[in-house]
Amino acid sequence: MFFHIVLERNMQLHPRHFGRNLRENLVAKLMKDVEGTCSGQHGFVVAITGIENIGKGLIRDGTGFVSFPVKYQCVVFRPFKGEILEAVVTMVNKMGFFAEAGPVQIFVSNHLIPDDMEFQSGDMPNYTTSDGSVKIQKDSEVRLKIIGTRVDATEIFCIGTIKDDFLGVINDPASV
Amino acid sequence: MSLAESPVYSSSSDDFAGLLERELESGSSESSPVEEDKEADDNGSDVESESRIKRRKVENAENLEETSGSTSQGFSEQKSEVSAVEDMCAHPGSFGDMCFLCGQRLNEQSGVTFGYIHKGLRLNNDEIDRLRNTDIKKSLHRKKLYLVLDLDHTLLNSTQLNHMTAEEEYLMSPTDSLPDVLKGSLFRLDLMRMMTKLRPFIRTFLKEASEMFEMYVYTMGDRAYALEMAKLLDPNKEYFGDRVISRDDGTLKNQKGLDIVLGQESAVLILDDTENAWAKHKDNLILMERYHFFRSSCHQFGFTCESLSEMKTDESEPEGALANVLDLLKRIHKIFFNELGGNLIDRDVRQVLKTVRKEVLKGCKVMFSRIIPSKVPADNHHLWKMAEQLGAICSTEVDSSVTHVVALDAGTEKSRWAVKQKKFLVHPGWVEAANYMWRKQPEEKFPVTETKSKTQTQ
Repeated sequence: MFFHIVLERNMQLHPRHFGRNLRENLVAKLMKDVEGTCSGQHGFVVAITGIENIGKGLIRDGTGFVSFPVKYQCVVFRPFKGEILEAVVTMVNKMGFFAEAGPVQIFVSNHLIPDDMEFQSGDMPNYTTSDGSVKIQKDSEVRLKIIGTRVDATEIFCIGTIKDDFLGVINDPASV
Repeated sequence: MSLAESPVYSSSSDDFAGLLERELESGSSESSPVEEDKEADDNGSDVESESRIKRRKVENAENLEETSGSTSQGFSEQKSEVSAVEDMCAHPGSFGDMCFLCGQRLNEQSGVTFGYIHKGLRLNNDEIDRLRNTDIKKSLHRKKLYLVLDLDHTLLNSTQLNHMTAEEEYLMSPTDSLPDVLKGSLFRLDLMRMMTKLRPFIRTFLKEASEMFEMYVYTMGDRAYALEMAKLLDPNKEYFGDRVISRDDGTLKNQKGLDIVLGQESAVLILDDTENAWAKHKDNLILMERYHFFRSSCHQFGFTCESLSEMKTDESEPEGALANVLDLLKRIHKIFFNELGGNLIDRDVRQVLKTVRKEVLKGCKVMFSRIIPSKVPADNHHLWKMAEQLGAICSTEVDSSVTHVVALDAGTEKSRWAVKQKKFLVHPGWVEAANYMWRKQPEEKFPVTETKSKTQTQ
């Protein structure tokens, strides 16, 4: 699920960045530092949408660096247990399949794939129904339900299932 | 029974995630409208009662017994069923420390790590067995067995760029100026500061073997090296897929094991040049003659002769080790599927391997002369064991049924006897070659010279 929230961060800036472009430099550094990172509390920072407030800079003893408290608005993404997500399949094997929703790695075990879908090995391993009408392979898009999450400092792991109504393939790359 | 007293109705764990979970699960609790009405009567508020039911769902059976006294029997049964399912999960494996069946966080780590398939993936032994059992049926149906391939000295030979000798400098020249035999099989990997030579016949070998086997790469090199080599061997990613195992993935140090190979051991064959790496799975192993192309590789194994690279030559393609082993694999595959009786699932490729091995020197009676030190029991010597595994009968006594005398020196009493009786007198290399080639070798190729005894007598 996406959230638009306000976060705060202390930015350390080298004196060479001071001058009339101070603000731009600060924002550019903030984007570089924060976008794409993951925090256990808020999830994955997708994008910074605006700066709320930049506080007064404080010169650090000894280094000449100045630290600015910056308040910024950003879009974060955090999966929840029970949430329905759409994800792209990255790898299919005997154990099940792995999918990604942006930075989130989701594993769907073969226990949680409908029983009528069977694993087919080969150079393009896949799960297929007996009549061949539905196929999950690499790059398929699937709709799945999250049944467990773990948000680390740098990664988000999820367990998913497609063994429920209205879950499964939503776009099959082979048929396009 | 009032809400305030109920132990399950505490708002302490009211975090956002929890709220969402309850909201998302709300659909299922509406399936028992009768109970809901009752509850609603008790509390007078629909919303409160609903949330109470939802909370109860996650509580254990004990609590349910207490709190559901006023509700109907059916309701409590349904609830305990739900909790029973949650308790019953055997946690067959985990991804990122969460059970991949119920999604629960697991505190203790159990099972085997399958890092080569995906980071953070672990499977329990029962689950591995289950996967192997379902997979073997499908594989056998498609007439496929499993083949585990070693890299270095089996399929290819690599050297560090800075270990190359002056005679090997010519290999560094641009590809089009290389001798024809090297084109397409010699790769310079500047990023890894290495040069790799694929063994002759490798392309045909992989193509034909892939039709009979599901193939794994298993190397003692690190992960980056293993993936790089897999890329050279299988540029179109049609043979190995995610089945590339490196030393970083193994469960034992300095050992290779089939525990992380998702194939039933009775259907796995291994090609490797190092017997000691497979201590537990010697019966699955087909030992390969080492492929040394570069000087540094020869040097590493104590050979001082010129390397293939220095002589600007290579192993023979149609008669090399890979062509030979492919032929053996075809024979084994054919015996396994066409000649063995009984259920497919009960057949064991290790037995086939043993039988085929026993055919190699069948009918030979081998006697060793001054090969086995008199201090050790003869049947403990590796050549004795090797000859027996190859189907030969070994003997210590001179007798007319002996067909081959194995000696290093033609001057010994037994050697002279062999010459006189017109028996084959062969070098120990004859047994070793038969072991590598899986065929009886022409005896003339392994003559025993008398030079050593002459110098002794002079």
